[in-house]
Amino acid sequence: MGTTLDSNKVTAKVRVKNDLGLHTRPATVIVKLLRNVKCEVTFTHKRETINAKSILSILMLAAKKNSHINIVAQGEGAQEAIDELVKAFDNKFGE
Amino acid sequence: MGMYCVNDLYQQHGEKLGLDLVLGEEGIRRRIQVPEAHRPGLSLAGFLKDHSDKRILIFGRVEISYIRNLEPEERIERLQAILNDRTPAVIVARRCRLPKELRAECARLGIPLFRSSITTMSLLSKLILLLTEEFAPVINCHGTLVEVFGVGILIQGESSVGKSEAALGLIERGHRLISDDVVKIRRREANYLEGFGADLTRHHMEIRGIGIINVAHLYGAVCVRDHKCVDLVVKLEEWDEDHYYDRIGTEDKTCEILGIRVPFHVLPVKPGRDVVLLLETIALNHRLKQMGYHSAREFTSKLMDVLVPHNRKKRGASGNDARL
Repeated sequence: MGTTLDSNKVTAKVRVKNDLGLHTRPATVIVKLLRNVKCEVTFTHKRETINAKSILSILMLAAKKNSHINIVAQGEGAQEAIDELVKAFDNKFGE
Repeated sequence: MGMYCVNDLYQQHGEKLGLDLVLGEEGIRRRIQVPEAHRPGLSLAGFLKDHSDKRILIFGRVEISYIRNLEPEERIERLQAILNDRTPAVIVARRCRLPKELRAECARLGIPLFRSSITTMSLLSKLILLLTEEFAPVINCHGTLVEVFGVGILIQGESSVGKSEAALGLIERGHRLISDDVVKIRRREANYLEGFGADLTRHHMEIRGIGIINVAHLYGAVCVRDHKCVDLVVKLEEWDEDHYYDRIGTEDKTCEILGIRVPFHVLPVKPGRDVVLLLETIALNHRLKQMGYHSAREFTSKLMDVLVPHNRKKRGASGNDARL
């Protein structure tokens, strides 16, 4: 699902599958997932681009069920970070 | 800037502009593409070179009486030349009586037609001001915006470097929080940057080990602000032994946000360095610089007076004081 643009920039488009949207629990999972990731990861939703390592920023998006989010990861380990995130969105963050 | 339509303008600012919708409700979702309003004086007279159909048209007393002076067929002809299905809206100022041809053309083309209670010039200036603000470029910045001694400081840095903790320390000492984690920055027409928080997360902070807190509730309304201009950017970073940090401060560094240059400081953090105190010092020093007193340059100047005494005489003769 991830598309490599250049050597260290990877993008992906995901859909929020959770019934309650991107609420505090999924946001916590995302932040935990990216805790030790070195690359920069951003989410873009409805023209808002935010840093995906900050929980308040993710919550600010208020992404509802079935909304789409564009993920961009740039830097060391970008592909792995994207793969993990896409997997987490797909399995509804374990809900 | 996303889609901004006539309805947004009407809902958000209709009262301020004294607007009443007369007809054309079907066109209320028309997009406003440019933050411009236009009095169609010359266009009405038939001069249509460079006439733009993207602007909101404002008819004042002069335009209305000009239309009334024309023959009925000519009225329709002239109005048809300036109105089309892209015209966002037509506003008639001063509650002027609406010529029936104008009503008919707006109804035919589905153009929202408003009547305003305020004078033409006042309407024009208010409308342009409001539209310019709505169309101002906005970016999301990762960081924390605080007001320290009246100076707006945007604290930036990697995740978990201690931005929120520094802000909390500042709040505890009576300074104010504008937004934590995500700061929206808008470039204002007067060429300054205004920072504010997102509606949902405004005045909330996330502190590791505690969770999400509401600063306005914890510390009271005196510790928060809705928006503040960004006067300074301070980047917090882990202390790096190999990096040479500024020791004198005679050079003023800047960074660019939305095309505007803002004073920029790099502040290394390590145990034992009181970041809150350092941020307060940066704010005070910034105020001092704004008042025309540059501590580092003043010191260098004093030093030069000692090292090269004849410099002092020269400067004294030209009436120049210690400021360089």
